[in-house]
Amino acid sequence: MPASDIPQDTQTSLERVLSYLQGVNPQRVACFPLILNHAARVLGVPVGKYNRNGETMGKAHVAAFRRYGNDLVSIFSTTSTLAEAMGTTMEFFDEDAPQIAGQPIQEYDDIKKINVPDFRRDGRLPVYLDATELAVSEVGSEVVVGTILAGPFTTAAALRPLDFFVKDLYKNPEWVHQLLEICCQAGIAFIDQILARRALPIIVEPIGSGSLVSPRHFKTFVAPYLKRMAAHIHENGGGLPAALHICGKTKPNLEAMLGADFDLWSLDAVDLGEARQIAGERVTLIGNVSPANLLKNSPEEIDAEAREVCAKAMGNPRGFILGSGCEVPINTPPANIDALINAARKYGRFDG
Amino acid sequence: MAREREEILQDLANGVLNLDEELAVSAAHEAIAVGLNAFDAISNGLVVGMNQAGELYDQEEYFVPELLICSDAMYAALEILRPHLQKSDVTEKIACVIGVVEGDTHDIGKNLVKILLDVAGFEMHDLGRNVPLADFVEKAKEVNARLICLSTLMTTTMDGMASVIEMLKEEGIRDRFRVLIGGGPISKAFADRIGADGYADNAASAVKVAKELCAGFAAARA
Repeated sequence: MPASDIPQDTQTSLERVLSYLQGVNPQRVACFPLILNHAARVLGVPVGKYNRNGETMGKAHVAAFRRYGNDLVSIFSTTSTLAEAMGTTMEFFDEDAPQIAGQPIQEYDDIKKINVPDFRRDGRLPVYLDATELAVSEVGSEVVVGTILAGPFTTAAALRPLDFFVKDLYKNPEWVHQLLEICCQAGIAFIDQILARRALPIIVEPIGSGSLVSPRHFKTFVAPYLKRMAAHIHENGGGLPAALHICGKTKPNLEAMLGADFDLWSLDAVDLGEARQIAGERVTLIGNVSPANLLKNSPEEIDAEAREVCAKAMGNPRGFILGSGCEVPINTPPANIDALINAARKYGRFDG
Repeated sequence: MAREREEILQDLANGVLNLDEELAVSAAHEAIAVGLNAFDAISNGLVVGMNQAGELYDQEEYFVPELLICSDAMYAALEILRPHLQKSDVTEKIACVIGVVEGDTHDIGKNLVKILLDVAGFEMHDLGRNVPLADFVEKAKEVNARLICLSTLMTTTMDGMASVIEMLKEEGIRDRFRVLIGGGPISKAFADRIGADGYADNAASAVKVAKELCAGFAAARA
């Protein structure tokens, strides 16, 4: 479709997103492509530098917003960042996201070394908070700035080798709850830091994915702690909603996820029509064009996929936001991100 | 009085299936004590239990923790039985190289696939995680593999899979291997686009696809 055929926005991004909070339809659905490490590409800096310098990270997200007009600026490096500040070591790459190199909890007794981090000092927490401050000050009057932090279950699983941790659920559940308690306190402290900088805390809990744990374990080990984080946002966020992203397959755990009391769900490999059946009366759904397809498909294919997603989710009672299922891959062609956002302009309209 | 063969096999299978390592291990000791054939105990006991666990995983009754604990029980019992295998029990296996591509250290999905392929009778060569792409090609040539399994959970590292396939083409040996890919962000469309032979969306289906892909070669044990 020629650019001239794409309906023009007359609402600003912030107006669009605020209309969800006010319970009225926006002019067209908002679009949250999860632009994370890809922001480094827009600014033209190495991914490794983006990940280690708060000013660079903030500027990269400002540049991405200016380039794409995405409706959520999302400050993020890895799902292990909170764990990193609590003792997990990372390996850094010039042109890739950091990866876990070593975990501090090898023996059960190692839990004694784990504490709520110092947000001025530990790990790369200052990088996140500096980036958040910069983005809020530069574009906070135009767009929602969110800062992404891991949920307690994901943080715990980054502090201990994952294959041990998932077996601990059976072998030492009381110990797992002790660890989750520390991770939950750390997460709540992180939420306070984010709220103090007038940004939206967004919780990601990929290790709670239905690809990994059962609904029973989700109810026991994941939902109760997530619920405390959501309650903290509701009590201290000045009306901000509690937002949760879970990557991978979430279908087995959708019912259990309701128990965590989040207002927005960003979902990945699940049929949004099915998610709507389960959660549509209570939750705004965000999703879920495949990240792999964003990387590899043509803009026309992205348009067609986004159109299908819109067809499934547009009538969701608590609202719908078009997005990517998970992180937009670093090397995604910009034309595909444009195609995704233009699809919201074309297929997500409420103004006729 | 010694128990019947069927009862011991049942305990071997149930020990694995029901996350009961103690039962699997005691049944393995009993099998040896009563002179049960070790190959029989493995293939008609432990493997049956692990396959049933794999089915429950496929049906979303079991998840990763359950499957890992089942496999711990299986390998613990296998340790006891393996020294008693006869030479004639060792059959020709199809070699498979598996690993998580460079830049990614998430290996739990890869480990599940490795376990289930091992149970299905493939000869597994596990390169681990964060594997330099050229290593897949080198190892596959070295062990004369038929199957190369590539895994990643990260959208950032998916392109590495395409690079491995390109390397095989550049060396003119693409036809010698079947390439199976999987992991969180991978889709069938992505697999087709990069020219992989197969795609699996979970560990249980990876075994089915692997068997189909290798059907033309000497058959892997069912």
